[in-house]
Amino acid sequence: MPNAAATAVLDDVARAAALAHYRGTRSGRDKPGRYWKIDLEALELPDALQPGAGTVTFSGVALGIVACDLETAARERGALLDRAYGVTAVRSTKFGALATAYAGLGALVYVARGVAADEPIVITYSCADGQAIFPATVVLLEDGARATIVERFRAGAGALVCTTTELVTGNGSDITYVGVQTLPQDARILASRAALVQRDARVAWAFADLGAELAAASAESTIVGPGARVEVTALFFPSGDQHVDLVTSISHDVGNSTSDTIVKSAATQRGQARYLGNIRIAAHAQQSAASLRDDALLLSKQSHIDSVPALEIAANDVRAFHGATVGAIDREQIFYMESRGIEPREAERMIALGFFEPAIGRFPSEALREELRAALRAKAG
Amino acid sequence: MSATGLAIHDLHARVDEKIILKGIDLVVEPGKVHALMGPNGSGKSTLAFSLTGHPKYQVTQGGVTLDGEDLLALAPEKRARLGLFLSFQYPAAIPGVKVANFLHAARQAVRPDGLGPAKFRQLLLDKMDTLDMDPTFLGRYLNDGFSGGEKKRLEMLQLAVLAPKYAVLDETDSGLDVDALRSVGNAVTALRASDEGKNTGFLIITHYPRILQHVTADVVHIMMDGRIVKTGDAELAHRVEREGYDTIREETGALA
Repeated sequence: MPNAAATAVLDDVARAAALAHYRGTRSGRDKPGRYWKIDLEALELPDALQPGAGTVTFSGVALGIVACDLETAARERGALLDRAYGVTAVRSTKFGALATAYAGLGALVYVARGVAADEPIVITYSCADGQAIFPATVVLLEDGARATIVERFRAGAGALVCTTTELVTGNGSDITYVGVQTLPQDARILASRAALVQRDARVAWAFADLGAELAAASAESTIVGPGARVEVTALFFPSGDQHVDLVTSISHDVGNSTSDTIVKSAATQRGQARYLGNIRIAAHAQQSAASLRDDALLLSKQSHIDSVPALEIAANDVRAFHGATVGAIDREQIFYMESRGIEPREAERMIALGFFEPAIGRFPSEALREELRAALRAKAG
Repeated sequence: MSATGLAIHDLHARVDEKIILKGIDLVVEPGKVHALMGPNGSGKSTLAFSLTGHPKYQVTQGGVTLDGEDLLALAPEKRARLGLFLSFQYPAAIPGVKVANFLHAARQAVRPDGLGPAKFRQLLLDKMDTLDMDPTFLGRYLNDGFSGGEKKRLEMLQLAVLAPKYAVLDETDSGLDVDALRSVGNAVTALRASDEGKNTGFLIITHYPRILQHVTADVVHIMMDGRIVKTGDAELAHRVEREGYDTIREETGALA
């Protein structure tokens, strides 16, 4: 007998409804302008879209952890899937709805009560040249569970990745979710992510958008239990003609909760980016603390980064901080390095890499941090 | 113009539209210590930045050679590679760039001797030991959150690690800070005692004569209103200590 989850994932009626929702929903992001060139309301999709295209593989799966592809999960782990799939609001966003319309590829990761995974669980989605894939990652942590998940994409030239991630935590659980994206220069990625954060749980997102011609990503964290903490770290560095659009949202629905967001972005050549950082503290969410730090570095005349922190605070006994900067490298920093024999281009590269360090330092392993440094160095030219 | 030395000839320079240097003549010979003293606003720091090629400072007349090479024709980083060093009064902070990595990049640029990481680290630790610096400095970000004294010590560590042919130390404002004076004195003494630095020529720029209790100057110049108005030996610095700059100003008829 098919369970609710299997129906939700694979049902044709549900697909049609999701596609209609995609077409009828606006992204809410600005239209193209002087700098930003891509209209998110009118993306061209490949002709033949296949539900379930692409493959998924896992590594780092240990005792007490279930990791399986979405179809297997729908067939054999329906009860678990039902507790997480579609529980967040991610499927009501424009690109979340598009992903739902063609769902089929995906992963369920389940961490049992009190299990602490030492190794990161790596989920890798792959597709061929020109293919469109719609991976759904669904993570369910029981009370006291602890895990690090790293999501990666291996896509061919011209690929479209439209992905959703849903994290559903248990009380006192702890999840670090890393999304590193180094897709080919002509690929596109639309990523819609959301977390439901329960009592005393910690959710740490860490995003690095370094590839693709378009990366449009959102991450929404809803704190529903006291004592919970959300950390968001994002770094991106559009170069060439790359466009990056990121929205991070944290909703403190209950009090005694904390959040800490750090976004470091740079742009060079004709690279474009826009960032919207939403923090909402509900009226009854007293004794909450939220911090949002957002710095953008422009390395060329045609590059541009729009950065908008948006704090909506309805409670009166809270601590909220936000700081944002946008600017070029300080000429005095370059001269100082030049006066030590360092070439101006190398000085610029070192300063730009240093600028990213506070964000890099929040990624969970030294191997990952070194990988990010190397990728950033290559982009800095 | 002499072939060796840091030779400054009739140097005129301006910042924006304001002419600050009005004809400086001065030669720092290898192995010698020159002190350049003068009241605030006399142009001492402008001379330091003009020598090192700061883009805000424009040389309008005259020239500078370093051991016979035309310094002013070169970009700032090329001047450093030729052997010129400036210790900054207010060095820039560069968050995210570790002191050790910066020093390695600078040493490789200035003295491309291909010291491997292990040998370079040992060199750093030796120099830091000489300068009585804590090795934890190496893991900190360049001048980021450093106190004035820590910045000064890091400048002195760079002096030691780069062992330049000519070092310009801009100590304009450090005259009242005893620790800063001592660290500059120790660094200069240590460099002069080393193989790499025994022929280093120094130009120490200062407002207060007190630094010259820690470093003995062979030659002392007094600068006023963009010109050198008097040159003498260490006794001239003692005179400034006793009398200030006013009597010298009256005697030389310098404006300012």
